Amino acid sequence: MTAVLAPAEVRRRPAFSLGRWLEREGVFSWLMVALPIAFLVLMVGYPFFYGIWLSLLDRPVAKPGVFIGLDNFINDWHNPVFRQVVLNTFVYTIAATILKMVGGLGLALVMNQDFRFKNLTRALLLLPFIVPTVLSTIAWQWILDPAFSVINWALKVADIADPGPSWLGNPHLAMFSLIMVNTWRGLPFYAITLLAGLQTISPELYEAATIDGAGRWTRFRYVTLPLLKPVIFIVTMFSVIFTFADFQLIYVLTRGGPANATHVFATYAFDIAMGAGQFGQGASIALSMVPPLALIILAMAIYLRSGKS
Amino acid sequence: MRVSSRQSRRVFLQRTALGTAGALLSPAIVQAQPKSLTMMHESSFVPPYDAFFKNKLAAAYEKLTGIKVNYDVVSVGSLQTRVTTTAENSSGPDMTAIGFNWAFLFDDKFVDVSDIAAEIGKESGGWYESAQESVVVNGKWKAIPFGNIGQLMNWRTDWFKQAGYDKFPDTWDELLEAGIKLKKAGHPFGFELGHGFGDNHGWLYPLLWSYGGREVEADGKTIVIDSDETARAIDYCRRLYKETMLEDCLGWTDINNNKAFLSEQISCTNNAESILWSAKKDFPEMAKVIDQSENPKGPKGRFHMLNPLCHSIFTHTKDPKAAKDFLRWLMAPPQAGAWYDVAVTYYQPFLHAYDDAPMWKVEPRNLPYRDALKTAHLPGWPAPLSRAQSETIAKFIVIDMFAKACAGKSTKEVIADAQGQLKQIYKQA
Repeated sequence: MTAVLAPAEVRRRPAFSLGRWLEREGVFSWLMVALPIAFLVLMVGYPFFYGIWLSLLDRPVAKPGVFIGLDNFINDWHNPVFRQVVLNTFVYTIAATILKMVGGLGLALVMNQDFRFKNLTRALLLLPFIVPTVLSTIAWQWILDPAFSVINWALKVADIADPGPSWLGNPHLAMFSLIMVNTWRGLPFYAITLLAGLQTISPELYEAATIDGAGRWTRFRYVTLPLLKPVIFIVTMFSVIFTFADFQLIYVLTRGGPANATHVFATYAFDIAMGAGQFGQGASIALSMVPPLALIILAMAIYLRSGKS
Repeated sequence: MRVSSRQSRRVFLQRTALGTAGALLSPAIVQAQPKSLTMMHESSFVPPYDAFFKNKLAAAYEKLTGIKVNYDVVSVGSLQTRVTTTAENSSGPDMTAIGFNWAFLFDDKFVDVSDIAAEIGKESGGWYESAQESVVVNGKWKAIPFGNIGQLMNWRTDWFKQAGYDKFPDTWDELLEAGIKLKKAGHPFGFELGHGFGDNHGWLYPLLWSYGGREVEADGKTIVIDSDETARAIDYCRRLYKETMLEDCLGWTDINNNKAFLSEQISCTNNAESILWSAKKDFPEMAKVIDQSENPKGPKGRFHMLNPLCHSIFTHTKDPKAAKDFLRWLMAPPQAGAWYDVAVTYYQPFLHAYDDAPMWKVEPRNLPYRDALKTAHLPGWPAPLSRAQSETIAKFIVIDMFAKACAGKSTKEVIADAQGQLKQIYKQA
């Protein structure tokens, strides 16, 4: 059999060569993505599916787990603190994202103008984003401490209030303060990315619009905004994901206090999994982030698509 | 020459015989004598304490036994995460410092050290009863208690004197009275009511207990948080907060009260010895007018929080015997005594032999920390350690019950909230 077939094969194509095989597009492209895929499977896929598995177990730390189905999720649902955590996370994410979007866009528009020290200013703008969160948050700890706060000092000097608001002690103000700090940290990311987007818009489009009699606002509304939409979408998606799963900032400033007023998914899940040693329940809280996040991103994608067509 | 050569032959023969015997025995010896052991510790508030282990204790042990003891320091607040990963992966350091209820949480992963605990107790005057509360799990010692980082009242003697108090108020009611006067004089109190770990539990649990309140009975099942005693403790706490404290206390974590006290914002707080330590170092004038006292008493007595530092051996260690031998050696008076001395009562020994140790005379203002050991308990007391108790702490059920009341909710509501959550945690909903 082989003796018969072999000559025929040789006739049809040249002998197998590793070099040539590698050069085939299909092979080469798969080879190139194999490493990233392996990395993703190991570093993202495995923990993710392990997390799902954990959430279905009654699994105390350092002890074997028992399969309990969806009991952890049912318990979460009946836990009033969990519901508060859901609400807190949404308030935190929505408020901070809107502030970052509006502020970032404004900042990007200003930075897109020509002025002196433009490059230096742009570089400085990135500082809040570059400084490690834990460090900058410790600085905020001082700013938000009424006794040392520069804001309270200003209010006192201006004779408006003494000692002034308790930024982290009042439950509502605490949430407000955290949103502000998150906005401060995330704004540069928005601004710089949108600035990059702005610079890709061809000046000719503005010239054409101006010739057609478009004013400042009309140019922004009909030229800038539509062309910037894809960038805004990407940035917002990232920002929503980061803000939704924020941990460091809240953990350093309030650890979820006062009385859970600032607990979000990540901090609550950490306390349950690490503090109480309840891996299963902790995983179920952390995983509860996935469906709302997926929905938000889906809704945003649909909204932006509909605008395009 | 001849003689010496004969001698050398004898020596040679002897050595060969020894060598052969040694070679035969060596696998056993190698197993019994690991080259090194590793002890994990959270970075201490008292820097010389860590240095003493590394430079003195470890060196002395190596000289004595040839075993090198590494001292692996982790940053403050990350020890539990490290213990968790070590226990989960069954690899890493051989021994670790633990606190609070970890002997219970990691029970299966810790070696039973009851035998050396008994020896150490016998050698050093016996253990304080409170020591056992956090380390004895199902009748077995899962850790050797080292010292308590007690939480007591820290107060300014000069301002209290101006308000007419030479001594620290003996009861919670008197404390409230003093606080009202001091706040009027511009020196409010500041007790943590937020989501820290030490300084909130340090006074809120003792307050609850001293009014006769508790979450769960000693049977570990019966939820009794909904009681008149709890209600009275909450009503008291609300008044203390509104009439004596800064508004900001509700959002505090463990560092805030130290900062507020040392910057002269507050005249009284509940804290470990760290405030007086820092003041002596950085504000010597202020240090002269700081004193420390036991918690005030309530209708049902006086209580304190147990905040123990203990040492455990992981079951994955290659040679538990070697680790036990080390802990046994470490807790013998020459070593343990010297280590306690370095930290000058920051870690209050759980062994009666140290009750009158010279270190207590170095700073008599620390003496109340020793006396507080008799009435100290873990959060969740009188219920035994359990998963539910651990979850109750991590969810800040009791802390938030008080905090919500201070923020304006009614006593009834906050108790109902706490009870609802406890029922869910204890699976009785």
